[in-house]
Amino acid sequence: MEMELVLLTQQIMNGLVNGMTYVLIATGLTLVFGVLHIINFAHGEFYMLGAFFTFFAAKLLGLDYISAGIVATLGVAVLGILANRFFFWPLRKEHEFTVLLSSLGLALLLTNGGELIFGADPKYVASPFADGIVPLGPVIVTQQRMLIFAVGALVLVLLYLFIQKTRMGKMMRATAQNPEGAALTGVDIRRVYTVTFMVACGLAALAGALVGPTAMIFPTVGTWAVLKGFIVVVLGGLGSIPGALIGGLILGVVEALAGGYISMGFAQAIGFSIIIVVLLWRPNGLFGAARRA
Amino acid sequence: MMARFLPILAVAAALVLPLATSNTYFHHLLVLWMLYSLLALSLNIIVGYIGELSFGHAAFFGIGAYTAAILGMNFGFPGFPGLLMAGIVAGAFGFVIGYVALRIEGPQFVILTLGFGSIIFTTTNYWVDLTRGPMGISNIAPLGVGAGFELSSALDYYYLSLLLVVAFAYACHALMLSRTGRAFIAVRENAQLAASLGVDVFRTKLLAFVVATAVAGVAGAIFAHYLTVITPEVMSLNYMVAILIMVIVGGRGTIAGPILGALIYVGLLELLRATGALRMVIFAALLTVSVIFLPGGLVSLWRRFADRSTVRTARQAQVEAGE
Amino acid sequence: MTILSVNTLTKKFGGLTAVSDVDFEVQPGEILGIIGPNGAGKTTLFNMLAGSMQPTSGTVHLKGQNITGMRADRIARLGVARTFQITSLFPALSAHDNVRAATYRTKKTGWMASIFRTATYRAEEADVDRDAMAALHFCDLAGHADDNAESLSYGDQRRLEIAIALAAKPALLLLDEPAAGMNPEEGQRLVNMIRKIRDNGTSVLLVEHHMRVVMGVCDRVVVLDHGEKIAEGTPAAVVDNPDVIRVYLGREAVSA
Ligand SMILES: Nc1ncnc2c1ncn2[C@@H]1O[C@H](COP(=O)(O)OP(=O)(O)OP(=O)(O)O)[C@@H](O)[C@H]1O
Ligand SMILES: [Mg+2]
Repeated sequence: MEMELVLLTQQIMNGLVNGMTYVLIATGLTLVFGVLHIINFAHGEFYMLGAFFTFFAAKLLGLDYISAGIVATLGVAVLGILANRFFFWPLRKEHEFTVLLSSLGLALLLTNGGELIFGADPKYVASPFADGIVPLGPVIVTQQRMLIFAVGALVLVLLYLFIQKTRMGKMMRATAQNPEGAALTGVDIRRVYTVTFMVACGLAALAGALVGPTAMIFPTVGTWAVLKGFIVVVLGGLGSIPGALIGGLILGVVEALAGGYISMGFAQAIGFSIIIVVLLWRPNGLFGAARRA
Repeated sequence: MMARFLPILAVAAALVLPLATSNTYFHHLLVLWMLYSLLALSLNIIVGYIGELSFGHAAFFGIGAYTAAILGMNFGFPGFPGLLMAGIVAGAFGFVIGYVALRIEGPQFVILTLGFGSIIFTTTNYWVDLTRGPMGISNIAPLGVGAGFELSSALDYYYLSLLLVVAFAYACHALMLSRTGRAFIAVRENAQLAASLGVDVFRTKLLAFVVATAVAGVAGAIFAHYLTVITPEVMSLNYMVAILIMVIVGGRGTIAGPILGALIYVGLLELLRATGALRMVIFAALLTVSVIFLPGGLVSLWRRFADRSTVRTARQAQVEAGE
Repeated sequence: MTILSVNTLTKKFGGLTAVSDVDFEVQPGEILGIIGPNGAGKTTLFNMLAGSMQPTSGTVHLKGQNITGMRADRIARLGVARTFQITSLFPALSAHDNVRAATYRTKKTGWMASIFRTATYRAEEADVDRDAMAALHFCDLAGHADDNAESLSYGDQRRLEIAIALAAKPALLLLDEPAAGMNPEEGQRLVNMIRKIRDNGTSVLLVEHHMRVVMGVCDRVVVLDHGEKIAEGTPAAVVDNPDVIRVYLGREAVSA
């Protein structure tokens, strides 16, 4: 194959894998918005915690990478329950600005708390898959990136089944459509809040555990994560999980191409430029339903 | 009665406040308080009066600051006309961005403004030819009229920004007692009903957005002249969030709220300086606690107190509603 | 001159035709009723007249001027006020401020005038207060002027909506089921109020389910069913129309 074409394929491949990371981050964000109509600015912090918990579970408990990742995911899911209990559930009847600011306060708390506890210096999550290489025709992908892609796809399928098939999933969908109505028909809104935050934070942590080994981690990485998450979620349509999938992959590929051909520095700006164009064309994103009146 | 004299008392207190000490660091904090007050009051027009949450406001503060700095550096533009230009340029950006973003509302608007802010921040960082990039622009001339008269001390800047804060606060007060202000509030409370009463919702929001961004630009320009150095940092997410915190912790939709919020922000960060690394953690915790327990902001404490201590007459209620 | 003239007005939602080729006119000083079963297209028709929905085809003229597809706020500025089927107020504001906001259309001074407290500004603000109090008085709400809209009783809220619409001093008033949920006594008060509105020179277009209200107050009635106009005439004539009895009154008589 021609050199140019190989390069292009490699970049698209990298973009898809990065995109899957974004999908994992954005799924939890879109879930919380779709079900509870909350914009959670602290979502990125749970991603950060996922990565750090994996690091410390491996280092302090001597766990292997996979077990450490699982422990981290579960641990952060529990933190999600606590976050809901103290930062979101009490504000369920308040103005959306109040809830948003509460999540912003939580984000600041976790970032700065993280800096204090974990230290500001970057860390590196060790993974046995980090250096293994999988050749796919003319392009190469690390095993870790294959893992991200595979787990990401699996998680989306599981989440889909959870929402469509389980009783809890049905309650979540009912709450998404009409919280007051759902409460009247016997949906336990409090449990819906708890489970939604547990799942969303767990997903963010899983993303952190998976992506940790491919880059340095530091306590302020959550801001990066939540910004990517927002771009994806708005691109795909707030509250839409298929939207998060497509949006994440699009963002990953566009960024990879732009980073390769234009300039890395503008990558963040490019993501935002895309959503500005998309929102002007479709105010509710690619897959978004109209906003409730 | 109280409500009448309180603003006058507050202004009088603000006038004599710096005389309490000759400590220049204290004066420096006062300048920051006033500039942030101006900035927070301007954001309050968007957040408090038309009810949309903008995460891009720091970008307009930055645009104003850079306009003043670049005009001075490249064209030898004098200070005070530079302030005006900064307001016009920031307002023009506000017009274009508002024109695009205000077609969308709610959460999408929040993220869209975050996006615009982020693009402006990135551009400022990378357009080195114009902005000198992350190093920023330094040696910005102090504000002055010709060569003879220059604002040289923190006190000078304090009184200038105090003047602007008082003027803008009065303008906001007048706004709430005007037909235009009633349209703002109508749009915030129920846009569909507002439209059915003849209010052009989009134009009303755009007017609010342009005024808010222009004032933020002026505040930014004074900030640049005062510090004599400006970096893209003022447009970073931290600043976006900080202004929002001032408005909401103080009390959105009120005039005292954002000014109080700015005071809390500057004062608290200063008081916590001694706690070292814990500073931001404590700050974030206090912020969150205040948001959760006082959703209406600090000024709502006063209203609770006033409700309990006096029997309100109809006239008073009207006065309060107007403010 | 005819206040409102509607010609072959049609609205389609995908495959569903909610309003189909409807024609009618409203004369000055007239109260025209629009009745029809649930889903007949009454609210959709209102939304097109008031500019909150674009018609698929057909035209609307207000005092001879073509207003088809105009934005809601522009139509409002031409003198059309409306209420909504689902209560729509400024909930956090006092009743008085609700109505003050509604004087927007008839006033001119802006922010600058209020900053400099010009004479025109002061005169106009006095007008605003007077107009607002007058509208509240008219709707028997003067005693609630300082109460928050959301704290009012349901019946008071519905009358506040009308006060809001009246404060805009419309030439044409569109009321979408103002009597819904009211008791007979409140309904009677409403009938008197609508008559008085007309006597003050405002034409009224009234969507209503309560036959008592329709019969008591309307000069003419247009009957819609499945988006089509099936009858038009005086209340007495319409009640005797066999089509109307079949699609609407029969059912209503059973349920009422
Ligand atoms: N925005 C919309 N999108 C799709 N269909 C709509 C929409 N608005 C109304 N419809 C449909 O159009 C038809 C007419 O509805 P409309 O609300 O105008 O009836 P109505 O006569 O006001 O009924 P009601 O007496 O219940 O208020 C209904 O079948 C309704 O489902
Ligand atoms: Mg209807």
